[in-house]
Amino acid sequence: MRPALHWPSIRGRARADAGPLLLSAVVVAVVTFLAGAVPVALGDTADEAVQAAVRQAGSDADVQVQARWEYDDGSGGGRVRTARSAEALDDLRDRSLDELGPLGEVLLPPVELVDSPYLKIVNGAEPRSFRIDYVAGGSGPAVTWVSGAAPQPSVARLDVEAPFNGPPWPVQVGVSEATAARLGVKAGDRLQVEDDNRNPKDVRVSGVFRPTDPGDPAWQAAPWLLNPVHGRDGAGITRFGGMVSKDSLPDFRLAFEPDQTNRIVRFSPDPALLTLDSAQRIVSAVVRLKATSASSGDRSTESQWWTQLDTVLSDVQDQIDAATAQAAVLLIAVTTVAVLILLLAAELLAARRSPALTVARQRGAALPSLGLELLIESALVAALAAGAGALLSALFTGAVAAAWTLPVVLAGLLAGPAFGVVRAFRATRDRRVPANRGARLVARRTAALRRLTLELAVLAAAATALTLLNRHGVLPSAGGTVLLPAAAPALAVLTGAALLLRLLPLITGLALRQALRSSRPLAVFGAARAASASARPLPVLTLVGAAALASFALAVTSTVDRGLTDGAWRTVGADARLRVASDSVVTVPETAQRIAATPGVRHAVAAQVVDVAPLVVADAERPARLVIVDSAAYRALLAETPLPALPSLPAALSLPTASSPAAPNQPTASGPAVPALVRYAGGHVRTGDHLKLPRQAAPALDLVATGIAPAVDSSEDLVVVDAATMTAAGYQVVPDTIWVTGPGAGQAAAAHSGEGLVDLRAEVEASRRDAPLVTGLIRLAWASAAMLLALGLLGFALSASAGAPERWQTLSRLRTLGLRTSEARRVAAGELLPLALLAAAGGPLLGLLLIHLTVGPLSLRLLTAQPEAPPLVLPWAALTVLFLAFPAMVAAVVPLESALRRRRRLAEVLRVGGA
Amino acid sequence: MTKPIVEVRGVHRTFGAGPTAVHALRDVSFDVEPGTMVALVGRSGSGKTTLLNVIGGLDRADRGSLSVDGTDITRLDEDGLSRLRREKVAYVFQTFGLIPVLSAAENVGAPLRLARTPAADREKRVELLLDLVGLAAHAEQRPAELSGGQQQRVAIARALAASPRLLIADEPTGQLDAETGRSVMALLRGVVESEGVTALVSTHDPVMMALADRVIRISDGRLHE
Ligand SMILES: Nc1ncnc2c1ncn2[C@@H]1O[C@H](COP(=O)(O)OP(=O)(O)OP(=O)(O)O)[C@@H](O)[C@H]1O
Ligand SMILES: [Mg+2]
Repeated sequence: MRPALHWPSIRGRARADAGPLLLSAVVVAVVTFLAGAVPVALGDTADEAVQAAVRQAGSDADVQVQARWEYDDGSGGGRVRTARSAEALDDLRDRSLDELGPLGEVLLPPVELVDSPYLKIVNGAEPRSFRIDYVAGGSGPAVTWVSGAAPQPSVARLDVEAPFNGPPWPVQVGVSEATAARLGVKAGDRLQVEDDNRNPKDVRVSGVFRPTDPGDPAWQAAPWLLNPVHGRDGAGITRFGGMVSKDSLPDFRLAFEPDQTNRIVRFSPDPALLTLDSAQRIVSAVVRLKATSASSGDRSTESQWWTQLDTVLSDVQDQIDAATAQAAVLLIAVTTVAVLILLLAAELLAARRSPALTVARQRGAALPSLGLELLIESALVAALAAGAGALLSALFTGAVAAAWTLPVVLAGLLAGPAFGVVRAFRATRDRRVPANRGARLVARRTAALRRLTLELAVLAAAATALTLLNRHGVLPSAGGTVLLPAAAPALAVLTGAALLLRLLPLITGLALRQALRSSRPLAVFGAARAASASARPLPVLTLVGAAALASFALAVTSTVDRGLTDGAWRTVGADARLRVASDSVVTVPETAQRIAATPGVRHAVAAQVVDVAPLVVADAERPARLVIVDSAAYRALLAETPLPALPSLPAALSLPTASSPAAPNQPTASGPAVPALVRYAGGHVRTGDHLKLPRQAAPALDLVATGIAPAVDSSEDLVVVDAATMTAAGYQVVPDTIWVTGPGAGQAAAAHSGEGLVDLRAEVEASRRDAPLVTGLIRLAWASAAMLLALGLLGFALSASAGAPERWQTLSRLRTLGLRTSEARRVAAGELLPLALLAAAGGPLLGLLLIHLTVGPLSLRLLTAQPEAPPLVLPWAALTVLFLAFPAMVAAVVPLESALRRRRRLAEVLRVGGA
Repeated sequence: MTKPIVEVRGVHRTFGAGPTAVHALRDVSFDVEPGTMVALVGRSGSGKTTLLNVIGGLDRADRGSLSVDGTDITRLDEDGLSRLRREKVAYVFQTFGLIPVLSAAENVGAPLRLARTPAADREKRVELLLDLVGLAAHAEQRPAELSGGQQQRVAIARALAASPRLLIADEPTGQLDAETGRSVMALLRGVVESEGVTALVSTHDPVMMALADRVIRISDGRLHE
């Protein structure tokens, strides 16, 4: 039988209930927009993040291949001048391009390079070094010769054999104008240079050049060819460079030992070509390439591949995965609450329509027809709303993540008809409560069982999701799907809300009993109303869920915010850090003193930081970052930062050699041990354990863990020792790092940027905050929190309005007993307050409990760049707003409801209600 | 001669305006002697409920004067009407109107709470009234656990709790079967005797008319005695 549709009813109902329908439409539209746009925006952001990471990694992301030259041993015991050296380099380039395969598509045209070892310029007072380089890229790099000429072969016979042990082989180089001016050389001059072993080299200037395009990528491989570079070969040393040509390259080779110069081809990735999708493929291609690479000790001419591109890409991929999962968590939260709101609105609508639906049924309308009529209405509303949301999403992001919008659109489509049909069915079935007690009991038990089953199902889902989340984290790379763990917070909140739903009747019941014992009539009536309203499940689930998930989202923003600040502190270790190459023994402490004397600087502490010290604990290698520092000065510096304090380090300990000879960790050599503060992520080392620091040409140094190293730095494994104690123990301390604090720290450190690498905490933090993923996620978390709060308040308004007819019916009856209007308002507030307080207090508590449980597994540290999960930071101000918002709603809703009914006389109100 | 407890003079009540206006009461005048039980009968839509509401202060007359126990209720403001309902007038409705989460005893005690009667006195009075309506054994039951007739008895006990001068009952037996309705009617008749209260009861029931001291007929908003 075809269900018969009654179009006038459809139109009439829609017109009568335009308000609630419009409200549902707005919720569907807004959530469709958010859920449809965020995943698309995230995808775009992800590509941006990949590109930014590669750009930031700079030369670390380059793919470099290196190979030895072919043997050039001559028959006369010397080395043969290889005229076709440049072609041999081209061969390596072509071979590498073949080996790269499809990887080549994301790489820019390569640069070929031959680099000399460090040479020292012997004349002049200033410490200067010199490099000889051959560079070749796509178009040259082209130069014009300002004076002299391009380097020529230094011999007439191109394939001559250089005698073994002969004088230094002459090589011609061209120098830039800047270099010529600074060195005071001109075409035809011989440079006064010698190698590390003080062997002079015969390097002659053939001419002075000017680059046609200084921006040519080929120059990036050896920028010192254009302009002298300060600090590259150690503090205070300026590096100069001379360029050989294709013709003088063979002489360049002969000027050095065979393995002192190598063929290098360097490929830079083209960031614009990288996407998240391609990143995965590139990582596996790079890993494959590295697997085929010859080892550096290999004496063959095989290619050795070197690149950090895979690490850079997998790191950013992890970040993207984390951000994606965190975004999924927030979207699922918003979607869940939105679906609950739609159910609440549908319930309200069905209740309003109850009389009309009952009449329709009594007139003979079949349930399927009614259902279809309601479905037509909701389909129209949902389609228009979802269409508007999708359109907005497409306008802002160019696409719509349709799958994400599905739950809310479906809820918008089905909730109304479902509640309506159930209403109509209940209204007209024979609903007399079974007369006999037994049957009533059975009915009640069935209902209780159904509810318990539902609760247990949600609980089981939440437990599974939380377990998955805790065991594997949110990252799909750890072998899980994204969706279930990401749904963990929403599911857990629902479970908690269901628990509170069980609790609420107990609380209101208790309040009622308390009120009955008191002599305040209003308390009795308020508590009685609250008790009868407390059984409705949807309001509690919606409000508590919204408040809990809003608190969760707020805690994410505050935790990430603080995490970014803390992460920058730990990365830099102070307001500014200056790192110099380790071969400048004398200058670092002096520089530190000079910086310390600068106005605006509070502390400047020099330290030696060994990034990976080869420490040994109980015969196991436990590499860690070793910080050798004046511990008193360092403690004073740390005390003025948010970083944790440095525990005290005792002076060198004499070992109780005789007392406990059997102890497993005792060193074999006796003597004083250097006290160390130790922190290993794996907890491998405990206080009292000994660590051995192997040394060249000396017995290993004995360290003893006397305490736990504070989390002051970005490494997971850290050992801190006192510099003076180390020196006393015979270790030569070579400071290479200066930490600077104070308002003028940045400027003071930057003034010494020529001596090394300067990192400014403020800059590090700003650049992380500006990273597309971080900005995007923080914005999403704020938007979600705001949306959840708005949905929560809307849910409150809907619940209040759904309960209003019954509430004011009862209040009218109480008014026939003599209750005043003002008293009626207070009773109404008493009814609404428990729900509001439950949401205001229970919601945030639940949300904070949840973020406490999930802050680690959510991998927020990947965004804040911290070695461990950031500590939870509670957003007190926002939570206070959240806490006050719901009671404020009571204060707003009650007078409004009362005012709306003021014009109606008691007689009318009593006449309308039938219950 | 005692002064009438209810004096109605020339009362009009019209709903709406213009051609669709409904004249629910037209120039209604009558008195009710204290301690009597008056039945108000008439067809559906004749204006019974409207008249009772106007007398009880739940609705206001457009014209005419109304006094209850010597108070001119047309001059009372909302708070004055509240006091009137608290002290002098009580209602029994067709739909009982009990508070679902409260026990029968607590429902009966509700008006006494509003009147701030001391707990001990309240409890004593509740006990007495439940006894009077024959529900002493059901004091702790909630409305949902009582039959319709029992609920209406609780409602009557509640109406009597604060010792009103006037009891207004609008079709108190409308939702009850004939038998139960009759016993509720008998109860009402009984309390008029025992509590000395005046009762104004609208009904369709001929038996009720027989129990009443006086029957007032209304049709189309006009009285016919
Ligand atoms: N608020 C209102 N607006 C418009 N008309 C009303 C209103 N209240 C009552 N009426 C009309 O006033 C007339 C009298 O109604 P009333 O409820 O007093 O009748 P009744 O005698 O109590 O009927 P019943 O026996 O069915 O309860 C009816 O025609 C009714 O439609
Ligand atoms: Mg009536």
